[in-house]
Amino acid sequence: MSERVMGVLDALTRVEGVRGAMVVDAEAGVPVASQVSTGVQETALAAMSGALFSRTTDASGSAGLGRLDVLQLEAAGGHVVMAGAGPLLVVALTESEARLGLVRIRVERAAGELSE
Amino acid sequence: MTERDLQRWSREVAEDPGAPSFVRLARAYRREGRRSAARDVVLAGLERNPEHVDAHGLLALIHVEEGERQQARDEWETVLRLDPGNFGASRGLGFLALERGDLTAARRHLDAAARVRPDDAAVVQASRVLERREKAGAGGATAEAPGPAPAAGPAEETAASTPAGRDPARLFAPLAGEAPFLGALVLDSQGLVLAGGLKAGEEQGELLGALLNAAVAEAVRTARMLGLGGWRGLLLETAQAVVHVTALERGSVVVVAERDAPAGWVVRTAGRAASLARSFFEEGP
Repeated sequence: MSERVMGVLDALTRVEGVRGAMVVDAEAGVPVASQVSTGVQETALAAMSGALFSRTTDASGSAGLGRLDVLQLEAAGGHVVMAGAGPLLVVALTESEARLGLVRIRVERAAGELSE
Repeated sequence: MTERDLQRWSREVAEDPGAPSFVRLARAYRREGRRSAARDVVLAGLERNPEHVDAHGLLALIHVEEGERQQARDEWETVLRLDPGNFGASRGLGFLALERGDLTAARRHLDAAARVRPDDAAVVQASRVLERREKAGAGGATAEAPGPAPAAGPAEETAASTPAGRDPARLFAPLAGEAPFLGALVLDSQGLVLAGGLKAGEEQGELLGALLNAAVAEAVRTARMLGLGGWRGLLLETAQAVVHVTALERGSVVVVAERDAPAGWVVRTAGRAASLARSFFEEGP
């Protein structure tokens, strides 16, 4: 499992514009594994991603939209893309100029690999 | 929760479907999107623990996700019989009542939820929607009959208060002909629908606005805490749809599209919807 996780993170952090990637325990909001550049607040990213995904999952379910697969937060100074992988979340933090479509595809793919 | 926890709960429940871990296992299955497995586990557990409050609450959520509103209602009502002050059941029943237009029941349940958690964002938003509908209903009893209105309630109010008289519900009509488009909404900063609508109907639009507002509040907090500056948007890919929320100066605009809508189309359409929403704010409907 840990080799697979590290492989997933390696692949994600090679995508242009990705500042860091991590796998998070979705329920606890704590990092399971991470590869982030200097200056990224690892524990904050894990906790906030877990909380945001959880809150949005509730909203999606209650609104009849079904399971939340991918969530992308766009902000002035960068973006966060996350996808559920069972009890885990795959999270990528990007520069503001990153190609979000590509990052989203890679994050989804990573989540799929971890779910297998 | 770890893989080891999951294996342990799975083993325990296989040996005894009523084992204390059955709710945790069912929750884990639900989070993984395995609703059928979650339902099987929780139903088997309830056979042996028919008064397990959390299990009935979990089953209600599974029913909601499957679109089984009546069954969800039954489960939450069971929860309230077992635990009269249960927040989740009061909130869930409040949403369901609001959705079907039963304002009396919605008021009773949302008030009960608010007594337990007065700051819950979703309850606060739903209560505002309810209050506005109650006022509209009270006004409608004495005012001239407005006739059937396909638009969302708040949009009608805005139309009535603006001289231009253009129907705010049709603000996004230029986008309506495109196949993946399921609707768009202009929301104020509280999540109330100001204009637009969804193909799924007025109730769905208002509920989505209220629920998304809670997610947006979390997104704003996340962006700030991570030092990313102001939030600009949210994109949700769910089992049923793609939802894009764009931040505006005075609220937000939500675009809902078919799940298989091309990503480029979603981005372009969100941009067009934001332009229409800005013109709505600047010029009025």
